[in-house]
Formats: sequence, C-alpha cells, structure tokens
Amino acid sequence: MKSKPILETRGLGFSYVDGTQALVDVDLSIPAGKKIAFLGPNGAGKTTLFLHFNGLIRPDRGKVYFAGQEVRYDHASLLELRKKVGVVFQDPETQLFSASVRQEISFGPLNLGLPREAVLQRVHKAMQDTGILELQDRPTHFLSYGQKKRVAIADILAMQPEVLICDEPTAWLDVKHAVQIMDLLTEINGEGVTVIISTHDVDLAYSWADYIFIMKSGRVIGEATPECIFYNRRLLEEAELQRPWLLDLYEELQRKGWVSAGLPPKNIRDFLRSIKDKEPA
Amino acid sequence: MLKIDQYAYINRLAHVHPLEKMVLALVTMIICLVFSSPATSLIVILSMAGMVIWLARIPASFFLKLMLAPVAFLLLSVLTVAFVWVKDPAGLLWGFNVGCYTVGVTSRGLITAGALLLKSLGAVACLYFLSLTTPMVDILSVLKALRMPPLFIELMSLVYRFIFVLLDTADKIYTSQASRWGYATLKTSYSSLGQLVSNLFTKASRNYQMLYTTLTSRCYTGELNVLESSHVISRRNILLIILFEAALLLASIHLAGFLTPFAGGAGS
Repeated sequence: MKSKPILETRGLGFSYVDGTQALVDVDLSIPAGKKIAFLGPNGAGKTTLFLHFNGLIRPDRGKVYFAGQEVRYDHASLLELRKKVGVVFQDPETQLFSASVRQEISFGPLNLGLPREAVLQRVHKAMQDTGILELQDRPTHFLSYGQKKRVAIADILAMQPEVLICDEPTAWLDVKHAVQIMDLLTEINGEGVTVIISTHDVDLAYSWADYIFIMKSGRVIGEATPECIFYNRRLLEEAELQRPWLLDLYEELQRKGWVSAGLPPKNIRDFLRSIKDKEPA
Repeated sequence: MLKIDQYAYINRLAHVHPLEKMVLALVTMIICLVFSSPATSLIVILSMAGMVIWLARIPASFFLKLMLAPVAFLLLSVLTVAFVWVKDPAGLLWGFNVGCYTVGVTSRGLITAGALLLKSLGAVACLYFLSLTTPMVDILSVLKALRMPPLFIELMSLVYRFIFVLLDTADKIYTSQASRWGYATLKTSYSSLGQLVSNLFTKASRNYQMLYTTLTSRCYTGELNVLESSHVISRRNILLIILFEAALLLASIHLAGFLTPFAGGAGS
C-alpha cells in the first residue's frame, strides 16, 4: 500500500475493568482513501479498536496517530479528532437520540459550530447521499431497521469526516439492504473518504475491501489485500475463517481449465465474465 | 397512546404551525375552565370534536373512544360531588339512611356534578386536540422558542424518543418469555414480569451508556443542539383562531348570564 497512512497505532493495548484483554499490542497503519475491512469473530476487539480511533477510549498502553499526529486526549484535540473520524455504531437504536430525522442529522454539524445555512446544506446533502430525503419529516420511531441504519450513516456523513468507520454495517440487514448499504459506502469512498468497516462476513470483505486486517483475541494477526490474504491458508486457519466461496469455485474451475487465468474475480459479475471469455466461438 | 402519536404525524393539521394549535387548545381550555357553565363546556367539546374529525381527519370512532377513556374515572369522582351526607333528608331528590344520617342527591348537587363532568371533558377534548394534531417534536420546538430551560426540553425529548426504544425492548423480552411458557400460570407470570422489569432497567442503563458514547463521538459537549423545524405562521389561521375564541368568549358570557345562579353555586 503506497498511500499515506491516515490512522496508525503503535503497541496499542487495552483491558476492560473486568480484566478482559480487548487489545494486545496492536500495530497497524491504515492507508488513506481506501476501503478497509476488519475481519474477525465477535469479541476479537474490532469495536474496541474503533472506539480508540475516535478517542472514545484512552489506551492503557501504546499510542494512536491520526495523519501522522499523535492523538492527544485534551478536550480540544478530541473534538478535532472526532470531526475528522466519524463512527457509525452497530445498533442505530442507541445512536439515534432524536425523534425527528432532520434534527437527528443536524446534531453533529451544529456541534461543529457551523452557521445554520451550512448545517441545512450538509443535512440536505447527507440525506440525499443516503437516499432518505423522503424520510425527513417522519419520526425516528416510524422507521424500519434499514432506514434507521441509513439515518445513522447520514448522522456522520453530515459532519463530513475524512474517515468513516462503520461497525458491522450489514448486521441484521437482509441481503438487498446489505448490498445497498455497501454500495453506499463505496460511493462515499469514491468521494475521497477513507471507509473502515468491521465484519465477520468473509465474502463481503473479499469483494468490497481494498485492504483487509484480520483480528483475533485482541490482536491483528494478518493484513494484506484481499487477493493475497485469502491465499494464506495458515492464517485463515488460525483466524478460523472460511475462504470466500467465489475464490474456491474460481480455483477449482481454473484447475479444470474452464476459466481464463489472471487475477481472481472479486465479484460474481467479474467471475461470469471470466467464464464467458472461455466459451468456444 | 402509541396511536395518538401516530395520528399526530399523519393528520391533516400536522403541518400547521404548532404554536397556532397550542394557542387554540390552551385558550379554549382556559375559557372552558373559567366559565363553569355546562353550555360552554358543551360548545368546547363539540367544536374540538369537529376540528379533530373534520379538519384533522381523525376517525370519529377513535376520537370517541379516547373521550370515553376518562369517563369512567370522571364518573367516579363526580359521584362524590353529587352525593351529600345530611341529617335532615328534606330537599333530597333521593336518598337512603345510614344510621342517623341520610345519604342522597340534591338537584343542586346533580347540576354541579354534571357541570363538573362536562367541564373536565371539555378540557380533555382540548388536550386531545393538541396531542392528536401536533407531533411531540413540534411541541418541543415551540417550548424551546418560548425560552423554556434547555435542560427541561432535552430531558423531554430524550424521554419521548426512548419511550419507544424501551417499549420495543419490553415487547421483545415479553415475546421471548411468552414463547417459553413464561406466562402460562399466574405464578410464572409474576416471576416473568419481575424479570422483565429488572432486565428492562439493566438494558435501559446499558443503552444510556451507549447513547452517551455515540453522542460523544459526535462532539457532544453537554447541549443537544438540533435544527428547529421551520413552520410558517399562517395569518389566516391566526385570524380564524381569534374569531373562534372571540365567538366562544361572547357565547360563554351570554350563556353564563342565564346560568349564573347554578354556575355561581358550582364555583363556590
């Protein structure tokens, strides 16, 4: 990864009050402007790590860096960090505090001290980008789970962060809405925002991410591009992760000579294309 | 109560400026309370019903059901006004003896009770009008514009939002308990209900901690700043409200003239 790191940690360690070691010696460097996925089972420390990126938890050991600057924990520095790094939490029910969608989204930008006009503009754009303009006059408690998830993302988008972190963005969503959310995250990334997600869905991480970190028991045990990471069978075994089915299928068909050689496909469309190319004329 | 909330967002008057509706409801209620005449109360009940059913397009049956809800409670309290204890049964319309006393009703007591019942229903109708036509969010924005303390308003808005989260959580716990025979017998019902309540509190407190975290991550510094909704005050509506209140006031003064002896008696 050539691009400059936007978030880094050095020797990061954190334990909860009950003694659970949530993070152990985490050293990582997240490239700017990419789509990043953290893969790992529940309890691997993904959420705890994300809370560190936003300064919501102070590490017991080690340091966090944003754009090369060490994160400091005084009031002003924290606000500055939270302006640049936004977190969409897993359960929108605990994030949405207002009964009005428009008011909910206006909370972040108003806290940044922007004038009313600018806030209105940002709220409008965030609703437009997340496709919830028609929900603006509806009360939060009338919304479906998928809609609440979109509002939660709009909450953060309206703050126009440089890094958007989504904890389990597809949790509890049906396939159709999960795909929509991931497409939305891709679009947001297209505007230059570094997007970081956590997931335990290997297929999702494989086809969506530019770069993958694998976590287990509070450690980062592997990192690479999706093309590389899923060829590292020992790592997958250690992380107790399955391979993406697309990759397994592709390899098998390649062995049989039914698909063209080259880079493995990232999604079904690429995969089907690689088969079609082999069809006899 | 949840249905009232739903109608507040979808009724025909939902987009009218909340201040107009609040003024209408409150002034009407004050008139209804000040003039203790049954005629005024009746006019108030009927006009509020008319506005809820014709202007806001809320089903008449639903409004009727809402109006009946406090009736049982009101009747009970009004009964204590209608009945009197006396030693001398003269002047009673009807009564029975308890020891050397007589418990009974006088015509004056009955009228007082009827007036009280109508007056209460009139005030209730005004409040129903407000809560059926005005979303809570709008009421809060008016309170904010009226310079109520921010702490009070933030508390109200959080309570309002999390009533629904709490109800939803309670509903889920109840379903999961019921599906495992949690409410099969009276005994298990009691213990299940106890667990439901205590679980609800733990969950609520965890939710609260999480909420604080999520707010902090959006640069929360102790004040819940949000954009206020931008309703426009309609001059036409203001004029109509003034006309309505003036007519109500004049009619009340006029009617009170005829009913002074009774109204005066009810008041003192």
